[in-house]
Amino acid sequence: MAEKLTRREALGSLGASVALFAGAPVRIAAAADGTVTAYTGKVELGQGSRTELAMAVAEEMRIPLAKVRLVMGDTELCPDDGGTYGSLTTPQTLPVMRKAAAEKRGGALTPPGEWKVLGTSAADVRGPEIVTGRQVFPGDARLDGMLHARVVRPRLYGAKLISVAEAEGARLVRDGGLAAFVSSDPVAPKRAAAAARAEWAPVPFPADPSGISALAAYFKANSTPPVENMNTRYPPLIRRGDARTALAAAALKHASSYWLPYIAHTPMEPRAAVAEWKDGGVTIRTGTQTPFPVRQEVARALGMDESKVRIIALTPGGAFGGKQRGEVEIEAARISRAAGAPVRVQWSREEEFTCAYHRPAGLMEVESAVDDKGKLTAWVHRNYNSGAAGLQIAYAIPNISCEFHRSPSPVRQGSYRSLAAAANTFARECHVDEWAARLQADPLEFRTRNCGDERLRMVLERLGKGPGGMACTLEKDARIALRAEIEVRGREVRLKRFTFVGDYGAVINPLNLRKQIRGALVMGIGGALLERVEFDQGNQKTRKLSAYRVPRFGDVPEMRLELIDRREAEPAGAGEAAIALVAPAVANAIFAVTGKRLRRLPLSLAEL
Amino acid sequence: MHNGRMAVVRLLVNGSVRPADVHPGTTLLEFLHDYLELTGAKAGCEEGACGACTVHVDGKAVKSCMVTAAAQQGKTITTIEGLAQGERLHAVQKAFLSAEAFQCGYCTPGMIMEAAALLNEGDVVGAAGVKARMGGHVCRCGMYDEIVAAVLLAAGELRRG
Repeated sequence: MAEKLTRREALGSLGASVALFAGAPVRIAAAADGTVTAYTGKVELGQGSRTELAMAVAEEMRIPLAKVRLVMGDTELCPDDGGTYGSLTTPQTLPVMRKAAAEKRGGALTPPGEWKVLGTSAADVRGPEIVTGRQVFPGDARLDGMLHARVVRPRLYGAKLISVAEAEGARLVRDGGLAAFVSSDPVAPKRAAAAARAEWAPVPFPADPSGISALAAYFKANSTPPVENMNTRYPPLIRRGDARTALAAAALKHASSYWLPYIAHTPMEPRAAVAEWKDGGVTIRTGTQTPFPVRQEVARALGMDESKVRIIALTPGGAFGGKQRGEVEIEAARISRAAGAPVRVQWSREEEFTCAYHRPAGLMEVESAVDDKGKLTAWVHRNYNSGAAGLQIAYAIPNISCEFHRSPSPVRQGSYRSLAAAANTFARECHVDEWAARLQADPLEFRTRNCGDERLRMVLERLGKGPGGMACTLEKDARIALRAEIEVRGREVRLKRFTFVGDYGAVINPLNLRKQIRGALVMGIGGALLERVEFDQGNQKTRKLSAYRVPRFGDVPEMRLELIDRREAEPAGAGEAAIALVAPAVANAIFAVTGKRLRRLPLSLAEL
Repeated sequence: MHNGRMAVVRLLVNGSVRPADVHPGTTLLEFLHDYLELTGAKAGCEEGACGACTVHVDGKAVKSCMVTAAAQQGKTITTIEGLAQGERLHAVQKAFLSAEAFQCGYCTPGMIMEAAALLNEGDVVGAAGVKARMGGHVCRCGMYDEIVAAVLLAAGELRRG
């Protein structure tokens, strides 16, 4: 059906269906022709949620996958299933869809052992649209009578607009501190905004984000110690025993600290949103990960009732945790209201770099002790600024205190794939490796000896001893381990081979699971070896893709993946976990090859 | 604001002559994506560093953000929308489907157009050859291995005819 529609018609037909489903959101609707339409507030970002959730409906309703249509991320039509982040679609939304579909069929939930659709490799249902260029991304959305808009931006990071001059070729629209050029011509606003004559009030950084020691000192000086709260997804303080007393009394101790910089999500598609006002309400088509929270943000920013805002999520060209806040959506709503017409706001790559939030920089300090049998007895882990995710520890240590010390950041920061798990796993798995080296133990053997999780122990056994460096973790309910083999030529580190073993519980779609793991490992190469947002003289220096090195074809090593499929176990989400292993495994490999310990990301022998 | 006057540019795109009234500096990408609404070619970086905007000009892969539309008059442009023969997909499109060589799909049209031009020129020499030739493209979802597999699969198909 979709392929016969133009972009305008496809977008228009969504609007037309509102009248049919107004009222309480429906989860599953069956049509007379045997097709089933299912509704979810989750969105597709390329991680395979559309196919996976359609598989759940097909399985439980006993119908072919091709008969299932999924409406995703439309706040008017879909139940609020929470934002699409934290690898939650598989553990949280998949069971909801299965249950609803089984109820619709009037039968019991299918036991995993009897799955016919789930547990098998299903091709991405969007495939034909993707390879023909027909998939409508947020930047492709067009409405009749729509104006194109570009926001006027400062050269200096975070500066506030004082004044801006009218220009030829496009109309200047202002709403408070927000100014944009708009036109029915799609390109004129881009030229006008680039050449805009505007006055700006600088907002200096409270701390220089270019210097590691200054920034680390700022985080420590301004941080707040955590308060225990285990009733949260990422507890900021995880305690067992008395870590500080045990540490003070121990004979064999080790302390080290680790650093990671601000990095940019750099999704392939710079974000875009189309806003359309009608009868005092606004509809926004956008590539957000979080349609419901963004609806709330837009309503708040525009001083209107949430029921007057409708967000329709379109699959964006990548998100990776970077499209979770209402930014371009609020701009589109404000500019459209001021312009009196539907408006499409398109960000440029430079705006993506300088206006979007970054992955937080962070300082991690780890202090620990082992007994005379080489067993860890005390562990204190402090994360400053970067976050609480991934603080949980899979080693059986009687005395632990894993802490997230919240701090203000001089630079806008926010979510990133796996949140702080990449930071905390880097610190933990490097620190553990330092112990193994000091005790002259094999890194795998030392981890197995201290491992407190049976499933992770089996993963470690499958990985086995070998060359290079390794890391393992229990993250987002997955048990995973990675071995990295490298070559060092002069000061250059080349990745030769990744060997990965993962236990993600019951595997829902093996094909997609492998893609998620490989994608996360490739993205992890960026954080480990390549990426850092640069600042200089009070401004952000990184402004374009050619100045920001992301993983490319030549950076990817040979990858061997082994999965342990546990039908009896709850399935774990897989979009994130594997990214956390790359930096520690590579850092530990660099140590194994060169004897040098690198504790700062991106890892660089040249900066030693 | 405008350094020159708007003028009609006519390009031969996917077999039809398509006019649009544009500023002289308008890139081929803007012409295709924004004026003709052939949105398969994507803006990723607009400085030739990602390859998402790749189309064919006289059969060669060109980053459409790096050339002006006006300079392409008289040439033959093919975009992802014009690659299939009706409903019959090009071998590279089929191979990307069977290798599942995408996640979000944003870089895919550019990757496919580059690969199609590459295979048109003759045989590629293994995975290393594909990587070297596709090196200017970014897939932020990290599907590089899958893309290499897809290109090699398509190469095999084309060799067999």
